[in-house]
Amino acid sequence: MRLKHLALATASLASLASLAVVSLGAAPLPSLQEGKVIKIVSSLPRTGSANAQTTTMVNGIRMAIDEVGGKVDGFDIAYEDWDDASPQKGNWDPQVEAQNANKAVKDQSIVGYIGTFNSGASKISMPVLNKEGLVMVSPANTYPGLTKPGTGEKNEPKVYRPSGKINYFRVVPTDDLQGSVAAEWAKELGAKKVFILHDRELYGKGIADVFQKHGKEIGLEVVGYEGIDSKAANYKSLVTKIASTGAELVYFGGTTQNNAGQIAKDLRAGGVQAPFMVPDGCFETAFIEASGAENLNGKTYITFGGLPADKLTGKGAEFREAYIKKYGTEPEAYAVYGYEAARVLLDAIDRAEKKDRESIRAAVAATKSFVGALGTWSFDENGDTTNRVMSGQTVKDGKFEFVKVLGGSN
Amino acid sequence: MDALRPSSHCRRSHARGSTRVDLLLLVAALALPVVDWLSGGLGLIDPMKAIFIYAILGLGLNIVTGFTGLLHLGVAAFMAIGVYSFAILTADIYPFQLGFWPALLLTIPIGAFAGFLLGGPTLGLRGDYLAIVTLGFGEIVQDVLRNLETITKGTQGINPLPPPTLPLPTAWGGTNGWYEFQADTPQPWYYLFLLFLVLVVVANRNLERSRIGRAWMSVREDDLASKSMGIPPVKTKLVAFATAAAIAAFAGGLWASSLSSTGEPSNYDFQVSILALCIVIVGGMGNISGVLVGAMVMIGVNDIVLQKIFSWMAKQELTSTGSVFGSPNNWKFLLFGLALVLMMRFKPDGLIPARKPRETGSARSATVRPKGEAS
Amino acid sequence: MELDVQYLLQQLVNGLSNGMISALIAIGYTMVYGIIELINWAHGDLCMLGAFFALTLIGALGIGAWSGPMAAFGVVILLLATAGFCGSLNLIVDRFAYRPLRRAPKLTLLVTAIGVSFIFVNLGLFWGGLPMTVFGEGNAAAAPKNFPAIVPATPILGGEPGQVTLTVRDLMIAGVTMPLMVGLWWLVRHTKLGKAMRAVAQNPTAASLMGINTDRVIGATFFIGGALGGFGSVIYAINNGTIGFQLGYRAGMDAFTAAVLGGIGSLPGAVLGGLLIGVARSLSDGYLEARWTPTLVFTILILILVFRPSGLLGLKSKEKV
Repeated sequence: MRLKHLALATASLASLASLAVVSLGAAPLPSLQEGKVIKIVSSLPRTGSANAQTTTMVNGIRMAIDEVGGKVDGFDIAYEDWDDASPQKGNWDPQVEAQNANKAVKDQSIVGYIGTFNSGASKISMPVLNKEGLVMVSPANTYPGLTKPGTGEKNEPKVYRPSGKINYFRVVPTDDLQGSVAAEWAKELGAKKVFILHDRELYGKGIADVFQKHGKEIGLEVVGYEGIDSKAANYKSLVTKIASTGAELVYFGGTTQNNAGQIAKDLRAGGVQAPFMVPDGCFETAFIEASGAENLNGKTYITFGGLPADKLTGKGAEFREAYIKKYGTEPEAYAVYGYEAARVLLDAIDRAEKKDRESIRAAVAATKSFVGALGTWSFDENGDTTNRVMSGQTVKDGKFEFVKVLGGSN
Repeated sequence: MDALRPSSHCRRSHARGSTRVDLLLLVAALALPVVDWLSGGLGLIDPMKAIFIYAILGLGLNIVTGFTGLLHLGVAAFMAIGVYSFAILTADIYPFQLGFWPALLLTIPIGAFAGFLLGGPTLGLRGDYLAIVTLGFGEIVQDVLRNLETITKGTQGINPLPPPTLPLPTAWGGTNGWYEFQADTPQPWYYLFLLFLVLVVVANRNLERSRIGRAWMSVREDDLASKSMGIPPVKTKLVAFATAAAIAAFAGGLWASSLSSTGEPSNYDFQVSILALCIVIVGGMGNISGVLVGAMVMIGVNDIVLQKIFSWMAKQELTSTGSVFGSPNNWKFLLFGLALVLMMRFKPDGLIPARKPRETGSARSATVRPKGEAS
Repeated sequence: MELDVQYLLQQLVNGLSNGMISALIAIGYTMVYGIIELINWAHGDLCMLGAFFALTLIGALGIGAWSGPMAAFGVVILLLATAGFCGSLNLIVDRFAYRPLRRAPKLTLLVTAIGVSFIFVNLGLFWGGLPMTVFGEGNAAAAPKNFPAIVPATPILGGEPGQVTLTVRDLMIAGVTMPLMVGLWWLVRHTKLGKAMRAVAQNPTAASLMGINTDRVIGATFFIGGALGGFGSVIYAINNGTIGFQLGYRAGMDAFTAAVLGGIGSLPGAVLGGLLIGVARSLSDGYLEARWTPTLVFTILILILVFRPSGLLGLKSKEKV
């Protein structure tokens, strides 16, 4: 009885499967010239802990589209804000990101994919989008291996480009740049012994590793290197350890969400007065709020891949003004990247002769001397921005204060 | 539970009833891609893969929690073991570089072995102590995957991983006689996952009725009595534990292949274990059809129904980004939690309750551990 | 060598002060488990809501600006109000979610608790999005929130580099935790309610036949367990200074581990378990690598359970609460 069912099931399965395989080739592809609406989607973690940063990015994207009146070259631009997180994770979920990527390549009216937030998520969607030549612009991925040969695993980045063409671009400078300038800045500040912490995430650990490597090269003594438990209630024991090493600067590779504020607090409460340096994952007002301004004032240094919003000039200053007008708050550091990613994409759509994926991809790749909110920059042969201006910030009276431009020349 | 059911008549009718549910689900599942295709692509096929994976995971967990009555809070750890062993066996940065099929098959003994290693020393523990051991094991596996970078690549994840391949004559569209699954054509994946799910269901049904299946249920109902009947409880539990681990690892291997990446270790955290447990309990503990329905409801509502509603809301401009309350995504936890509470309130035995032998002792808490059990 | 002893002592102090907070939260688990055999999954998240309640109160009353004796008074207000809030919330959840399920299988109850935990987490997210100064005007609901340092981390012993330092906060933790534990022990051992609780834990049917209103006793247990969680959440928040809507998971997990390690259902066991885990964490952070600390804690837990299957102080008989 059961065997018969099984046989029946298998038979029908096989026949349907072959039907499906055959039907795939025959599915009609709608041409974009028929309709007048083309679609851009973003895939960012909208549920859970990254929500604060992604909200500012989505605000930026919407602003860029509103600015052109939702129309480019006679085509209406439709935008959809997709979530690549799931509630059960509270964070990006590989399965959801994979679904988003598959959904995007299926819908022929989609010509641009803004995302992702987490580099790990891009590792999943990049090859899928690449095969279909759908262009992807990330406002936030900083893992170098996604684009730069020789910085990650030996098969990176070519594993993300099965078609051989480059479809992935990013408007943010990568961790290898930011980690190095951070180490140089630490040396400049007079620190000789540094204690390095990281949050054991792709971003945080990556940047801490670069800091360590470059720090050693330029003569910093690394007196400790620890991956923290980012869900721990506090870091008193670790601070006792840091105090016993006599570190002159504490570097944390990680984000506000992964307890940067708690570390700052425990350092000061544990009597460690050494400067505290963090990367741009903490460059948001939430970091100051979580830490308590009194624990940061005057002894905290934040590196950032770009200029803070109030130092932007030209297009960037206009953006800041418009953002404040529209949303009533100062834009967070990442908002401008969402805005820039959307703008560079819209610009490419405008320039593309035909509004199909390949023409738009080629147009994005050909972006040269783009006058954007982040300055005037181009995409290089790997799809990275040529904009390498980094800035250093400190905290004064509970507010971020611009100190100086870092690096830039390399 | 068959062995303990009051009459053989009752058993047969119940078995036939649930087979009918299975077949109904199978027919619906087979027809879905055709419906999807005819209706011009509703985008239902891709999210269905997650339902199948969670159903397989749930069926594994059901053996431990449903049949054997042990609370298991770490099934995701075994899934992670499957994911990473599949990745290490196949990815081109490792020396093994096996193909999809041999690597997928190997996840089964690897998972079973891991289950054996954990279960061996700990299965003598009483119910809730075992629960925390499995929970702790889940955390340990995640941390080890994260910290042993030289082997597991830490949080970078391992990619790309090979897709399944099937022999297909070149005349039918194969390349050199093989058809390689593509990430963006979900139908072949769909049917492959469905096939594996059917196999797991059939295997579970057979296990349920076999000697070992009856032993599991007798251990669940009364540890001591089974012992006196010549069923060694620890050994019986160990078999259940290892079987569940093997199934979870298999699900992991399949999952890794479909993502072409391991993702991050934190993708296999406690939340996944809890979701699998909810699927088993919401569906109807100890009931195979119940697990299938549970997976469909829990994952389907979240991944498909809510997605559709939210994107509709966004189109109607019912959402806003100004406040935390404006974005429907911020309501997901609340909806999920409320659904669980209400479901348990009004269907405490799950959507498709398993038949239970008549209670003889205290009315409550009979499922995991009889109240009066000595430890 | 001198420095090494100081270092060890300092790490022990760190571990004990964290351990005591875990112990307080662990008691909430162990009491509920003892009486209805439910792993109250939402307990950690209840404490999270308690911390948000306390922060709201600080914002509403301006407690953050109080100092000296007024600050001490502020802490008392926070403790009592938050304990009342958490206790009542736990009681309400019991009334509407768990009580209708008294006769359902145990795992049904567990899934309900998991559901309640999801609801709590979401409420915590919304709470953080309220337009109040203490929540950053609600601009970043998900971000961690600063909890004002009402009790300063001023040293009362040591304070110089290399010396063992004991702060006012450490004292506060001990000063809140210890009397509560003694009081609870007295309540369970020597009051009528305590006797009723033990009776219900032993055998609810027999207890109700003897005229004990089991629903009321169970409700009281939820209230007391929740209130202790409320106390725990306030000292947690003051001691750490940061709260976030996801803190319940780890706080709950630590406490649950502590309860099981000590022998679930046993009050002294929960305390011992909490302290042991606190110290183990601290020593692992201090002498080994911090990234292996969670692994080490769970390995110790599993090993202890393998050799002592009922936890350290768990009794083999049915003695509970």
